[in-house]
Amino acid sequence: MGRNPGDLVLFIGKRLLQLIPVLLGVIVLTFVCTHLKLVGLCNAVYPHASPEVINACNAKYGAPLLTQFVQYITTLFQGNWGASPLGTPVYPAIAADLPATIELVLAALFLMIVIGIPLGVIAAQYSGRWADHLVRIFYLSGWATPTYLGAVIAAVFIGPALGLPSGGEYSTVVPPFPQYTHMSVVDAIIALNFPYTIDALEHLILPASVLAFINMGIATRMTRASMLEVLPLDYVRSARMKGLGEFWVMYKHALRNALITTTTVLGVTAGGLLAGTVVVEEVFDWPGIGQYAYDAVGGGGSTANFDGAIAVVIIFAIGVVVANLIADIMYGVLDPRVEWR
Amino acid sequence: MTEPVLSVENLTVTYTVGAGTFFAVSDVSLEIEPGRVVGIVGETGCGKSTLAKAIPRLLPEPPATIGSGSIVFRGTDLVGVSRRQLPMVRGTGIGMIFQEPLNSLNPAFRVFDQIAESIRIRHYREMGWLKSFQGGDQPFDYSKPPDTTTVAGSLAKVIVPSGAAEEAVHDRLATRSQFREEVLSYLRLVRINDPETILNLYPHELSGGMRQRIMIAMALSEKPALLIADEPTSALDVTIQAQVLTLMKELIDEVHAAILFISHDLGVIAETADEVGVMYAGRIVEYGPVAEVFRDPRHPYTKMLLRAAPAHYKEDGPLSTIPGSVPNLSRPPPGCRFHPRCALARAVCRGETPPLAPVDANAPADSRHIHRSACYFMGEVASLP
Repeated sequence: MGRNPGDLVLFIGKRLLQLIPVLLGVIVLTFVCTHLKLVGLCNAVYPHASPEVINACNAKYGAPLLTQFVQYITTLFQGNWGASPLGTPVYPAIAADLPATIELVLAALFLMIVIGIPLGVIAAQYSGRWADHLVRIFYLSGWATPTYLGAVIAAVFIGPALGLPSGGEYSTVVPPFPQYTHMSVVDAIIALNFPYTIDALEHLILPASVLAFINMGIATRMTRASMLEVLPLDYVRSARMKGLGEFWVMYKHALRNALITTTTVLGVTAGGLLAGTVVVEEVFDWPGIGQYAYDAVGGGGSTANFDGAIAVVIIFAIGVVVANLIADIMYGVLDPRVEWR
Repeated sequence: MTEPVLSVENLTVTYTVGAGTFFAVSDVSLEIEPGRVVGIVGETGCGKSTLAKAIPRLLPEPPATIGSGSIVFRGTDLVGVSRRQLPMVRGTGIGMIFQEPLNSLNPAFRVFDQIAESIRIRHYREMGWLKSFQGGDQPFDYSKPPDTTTVAGSLAKVIVPSGAAEEAVHDRLATRSQFREEVLSYLRLVRINDPETILNLYPHELSGGMRQRIMIAMALSEKPALLIADEPTSALDVTIQAQVLTLMKELIDEVHAAILFISHDLGVIAETADEVGVMYAGRIVEYGPVAEVFRDPRHPYTKMLLRAAPAHYKEDGPLSTIPGSVPNLSRPPPGCRFHPRCALARAVCRGETPPLAPVDANAPADSRHIHRSACYFMGEVASLP
């Protein structure tokens, strides 16, 4: 029937195999984009660098594009993510930064789910009334806000107004406990350090809210639309006729079916969330790979780091594919009629 | 006669759509005593389904509006009950079986969970964990143990003969297996042969007839005092229809609830109901004991409806039809709503609405249960072909 655990394993396996061509495409595209115009441009890119740097750069980027690509892909398959033109290896930096980004994105996703979805339910429940209009104004304004603008407004005005810190992971640069996971809140919890847990949450809430606010619109809108589709259906009427209160009719019987669409859309927002981290992490000085990516493409006057940029793009691509895979699995979990194949 | 469970007085329901107002139900009155089955029959669009949904206040308001009249359920007028209190009336008070079994079960939950939810609602109300309805002068008291003199009590005795579930309620702590057994008992009640397997299935894995049985089990598991069956067999295949109808008939004998049975099928009503109301264009035009109404119809519409029933087509050649069409309910014809299609119509029919009057002139005019017809010339109906 396509509903056995074996089918799920097969389904996941197939989808992960599809990841290979996706990643190859992503690598080729990013590589070409970053390296195409670079030939002979080392002097322009590093105007104030020492002769050693220029020479190293020329040695690396002076070769024909195909040669460079073969060299890059060979080292990549050996597990070497390359290094910046200044010689800093990419891998350790990314390994240290990735957890912070995952933490930020998961926090944003959590806010999108616990705020965005109920807002969609409320909008559908009071469709055409003032609550519906308010919700629509809220999510449309999030949708229409450019990430950099939202982030800057939050960091400069909203954060100080609410007394929230607007930079970094903790109030001290280095916390007084070992950072096992490099996720600020998780590390504080592991260390059973309650004040630092609160402190970390205070630092997390603003960037996560900005990311969530900007990406929430689609989840709210899809929830509202599919709730409006589900509410007139017969089984919602049956649920009412059982004597269930309106809350359970909405959040158990109707939302359970409406979520099927929302889940798919949440998978799609993964791209937006990850892309948003580049700006949000830079504005809020969040030590994740978004900030790393910003620096890697030369943002803020830093030295361009093309290997690093490609690595971030690869990780984002994996993130998007995995997020959609999880969404598809959830789709089958929520809807018993769906077969995994 | 025992107190009626439901007593509808002069109920009028309108739909406001755009600028138009549709008079879906006009001035309908009926009473149902425990253990009695009242059938409502009429063609599509006559307002019978609106009537069925108006009673538990299931119609979306707006566009629907209960214009006037009362729906007194166990001493409480449901028209005045607040939206927040309505769920307390439904389920354990009024149960309902719908026309479309294909979509009436939630596709996301297993059969077990859907029936279990209903039973849990009833348990919680019986235990007083869930707020019960306190709206009227005669509040529903679910916390009392079932008492044979009340409707709910007789239902409890009849529906769960094993007594296991009843004890569970008294103990206020049903164990998992007892609870499962109670769910199973309702599946057996609706004659499902393999309840253990069915429990774990999703609605889409069941046939239409099976789903309708589950719907019936779900409604009965709350032990409602009033059961409304809104065309429970209409959407099913003919053979399945017969099976579900047989089941309904058997259950009607077993369950002493008051039952309102809505159907467009005269045969179904004849087999199930004690009394029948014939609806035309939102009004009850004839009412009375089933056998009497069908043997000796006293309203031209009933007469023509009976003649148009396909049972006769072999003898009479082509199917007989009623000339004309159902009136537009946003502008119902003045006077008797049937007059444009009626062979007996005269000037008075166009000017005045005939009251639902006893067929037997000597009968008491206020009795709800005798044969009555809303026709000025009910004496002449027998002369119609």
